[in-house]
Amino acid sequence: MFPNSKRDIAFPFLGSIFLFVVLFGGGLIYQTILGNGSAERLVTTMLVDAIIVIGIQIYIGNTGILSFGHIGFGAIAGYVFAVYAISPEEKLKRIPTAPFGLTETQVSPLLAIIIAVAVTLVFAVIVGIGLARSGAQSGSVAATVITLALLFVTHEVAKSWPELTGGNRGGVSFGIGESLSGRWPILVVLFGSLIVARLYGQSRSGRLAIAAREDNLAARAMGVNPLVQQMVALLLSVAIVAIGSSLRVWQIGSILPDRFFFDYAMLTLVMLIVGGRNSVTGAVLGVAVMTGARELARRLGQNGFEVFGIGLDEPPLDWIFRENLNSVVLGVAMVAFMIWRPTGILEDWEFDQWLYRKIGRGSETKPDRLSELETIPDATFTASDISVSFGGFQALTNAGITAESGEIVGIIGPNGAGKTTFVNVITGMVEPTDGQFSIDGEPLSGKASYQLSRSGLVRTFQNLRLFGALTVRENIETAALVAREHRSDRAVRDVDALMAEAGLWEHRDRRARELDYGNSRRLELARAAAMAPSFMLLDEPTSGMSDSESITMIEQVRHMAATVGAGVIVIDHDLGFITGISDRIYVFDQGKVIAQGTPAEVQANPQVQAAYLGSAAIT
Amino acid sequence: MTELLQNLIDGLGRGSIYALLALGVAVVFGIMHLLNFAHGELITIPGYLTYWAFQNNWSWWTVVPLIIVSAVLTSLLIERIAFSRVRGAKDFTLLLTSFGVHFIVAAGFLLYVGAAVKPYPRPGWFAKTVSAGSLNVEVFDLVVIGVTIVVLAGTTWLLQRTMFGLALRAAASDFDTARLMGVKSDSVIRGAFALSGFLAGIAGVFWIMREGQMTPTAGIPPMLQGVLAALIGGLGSLRGAVLGGLVLGLAEVLLRSWLPVGIQNLTTGFVFVMIALLFIFRPGGLLSVPQVERV
Repeated sequence: MFPNSKRDIAFPFLGSIFLFVVLFGGGLIYQTILGNGSAERLVTTMLVDAIIVIGIQIYIGNTGILSFGHIGFGAIAGYVFAVYAISPEEKLKRIPTAPFGLTETQVSPLLAIIIAVAVTLVFAVIVGIGLARSGAQSGSVAATVITLALLFVTHEVAKSWPELTGGNRGGVSFGIGESLSGRWPILVVLFGSLIVARLYGQSRSGRLAIAAREDNLAARAMGVNPLVQQMVALLLSVAIVAIGSSLRVWQIGSILPDRFFFDYAMLTLVMLIVGGRNSVTGAVLGVAVMTGARELARRLGQNGFEVFGIGLDEPPLDWIFRENLNSVVLGVAMVAFMIWRPTGILEDWEFDQWLYRKIGRGSETKPDRLSELETIPDATFTASDISVSFGGFQALTNAGITAESGEIVGIIGPNGAGKTTFVNVITGMVEPTDGQFSIDGEPLSGKASYQLSRSGLVRTFQNLRLFGALTVRENIETAALVAREHRSDRAVRDVDALMAEAGLWEHRDRRARELDYGNSRRLELARAAAMAPSFMLLDEPTSGMSDSESITMIEQVRHMAATVGAGVIVIDHDLGFITGISDRIYVFDQGKVIAQGTPAEVQANPQVQAAYLGSAAIT
Repeated sequence: MTELLQNLIDGLGRGSIYALLALGVAVVFGIMHLLNFAHGELITIPGYLTYWAFQNNWSWWTVVPLIIVSAVLTSLLIERIAFSRVRGAKDFTLLLTSFGVHFIVAAGFLLYVGAAVKPYPRPGWFAKTVSAGSLNVEVFDLVVIGVTIVVLAGTTWLLQRTMFGLALRAAASDFDTARLMGVKSDSVIRGAFALSGFLAGIAGVFWIMREGQMTPTAGIPPMLQGVLAALIGGLGSLRGAVLGGLVLGLAEVLLRSWLPVGIQNLTTGFVFVMIALLFIFRPGGLLSVPQVERV
């Protein structure tokens, strides 16, 4: 579950205490200084908002999918809570004809919250399936619209089903009877959600979700099924939002459809975005900053203020400082941050992780280089009679290769030879018209790319696909997390040792997006090796490299493959690199395998020379 | 039978407005991958101008051009002020920018016009019907359908037969390549926003007439219908957007007439559920554009 218990459990726990103390303490100081009831209410509201924003952060932050629907889930929870918690006398006045005999039912607030969470989770599962079907991934537009639609449905139903909800009659909304006395339930839940959110972010599921957020395709190539992790994040997140929303209803003492609609969705989103949606620290910061900014705007808007003797309610300033200024502040903050700092104030910065790096981890010693495996487990990759046609164009005709573990097999061919199509077939991106491929007889054709990598065929990408916001170590850890679960029969190597092996030890805490080109290539190789693959498929590993870098790369690939006992299938158009690295070579031309053999044999083959240099070269 | 026919015409009338809105959303989405949650502001801003114009004794003859022109200008202005600054940003950023723009405009109205409903007169012919046998058809629906056909024909001509249309379609299919081929990104993006504004302006004329009043948040329903219709049709497909609009309009009207009396209020909810089912079984929408995953 957690790769490193100190870093991923103890420090997040410490960090949660810190965030809790700062937020609640700040609120206490504020209300003590002002010493009035409205300040107290503001602080309570802020704490409840914080719970809901932290809940939303678990989904949006870890998956990168923008959701408006969490406030819709909040509406469901809020109404369920109200319907169960309200007293029968009160209900006879508000909803005398409620269905399912709900008018007579009353349970304790705690039980009502539990029911609210359960009911809301049922809806979350349904919506989650819809999101998965829509192919939701970071930034998905369709997914966002689905969540937006949910927000509208809940609002619409709340308005037009008065028998159950009391409808939209202003003033005759639910009165729960007794408002929340004392803040302790809010404080307990707030603290709990901080811990849950932080632990989830460091957990296996959280890590995999974040990897998919950073690069969905690369995550799948590392054996991650993003849809599963997104569902986990959604359910956890909705559960916290549901509890928070119940508390919100309890605290306010009533519920109206508009309380859980556009304005509140906007408020919570702005809080999350401003602080930095990718971090829980950011979410808490955003709640504090936006609560302050809105309160300031509200007070400035309530005329009668004077600054340096100039009345804010006199022209021309009255044009700015008027009532409802706080709602403009929300919109302006949103657009301004999107234009100038879309990742929010803190970006990916997390307090407890910073603290861990500063004081928590002690001295680390660079591990020794990995030794090559003494015995390499046998494995055979076979692709036979692969044909692909796009419309009328025959991209591949009966192409096939075999590769043994411990061996490096090169695939080469001029542009348009069908190399890329072949790679796309054996990585599950293109369905072949005909033919199969397998490892040790286990058929792999037709499997999704995350299943292929779990079966032992792990790829790298021609145009580098790292998890940019994750550090070097976290990139490799992600693959190791998957390997420990799905590749445990193989040599799953230590993450630190792999970093040292790839020459990345000094860069271990840098984010992958900050690495230079050569280091990025090496990180991709190390990440693939961390999957404990039977076969590594390297797609143009030297593209963009100089000749001398390519030569170094040959050694690194060889050694890295030997330490995990993997066979290597390498595709490149650089004849020098392929002949230098490969034990055997397949030459593709015009969709067919035209030659195979050792580098020397292939180089001597007249057909190969013709394909590479033109037929004139033969004569 | 008569009832069905009447519902069909009613649904097509509604659907035509949605189709124009959705087409405007789709044009902008195609060009910069921006799903414009501020599309409804192309109706609220002209809507408040309509209120102002009637306060100053204008008539519908002069208000209609005012609505269309102001919708185009609003669209261009929003592009210039906000969207031009986030061109090429991540989808997440684009979505929230447009959402923020909606919110600023709505809050602006709240601040400077107030939350109160601002009414204005509907045109005299609005409530009239024509009868053919037992069939009673609203003149309004017929006008909407007729105008929409003409506008769609004109838009098709613009997209298929003009240099601008070619540039727009090229840029929508592959923006970078289109630029390399000499399509000016600024002018094609502004052209797309102008077209989007024009379509919203036409839809806005009818929407504003039908509503008879304006509120600060009146932009949300037309935005939502436009965005949903574009999504139902298949994001990225212009034909799909029009189809999606018509389907949405028909679904609303037919459902309202079929649902038992007690739960007619929940029509919108049912429409959303149907849309959700559509997405589950056909995630790409009705006319989905095949998305090739780039490695």
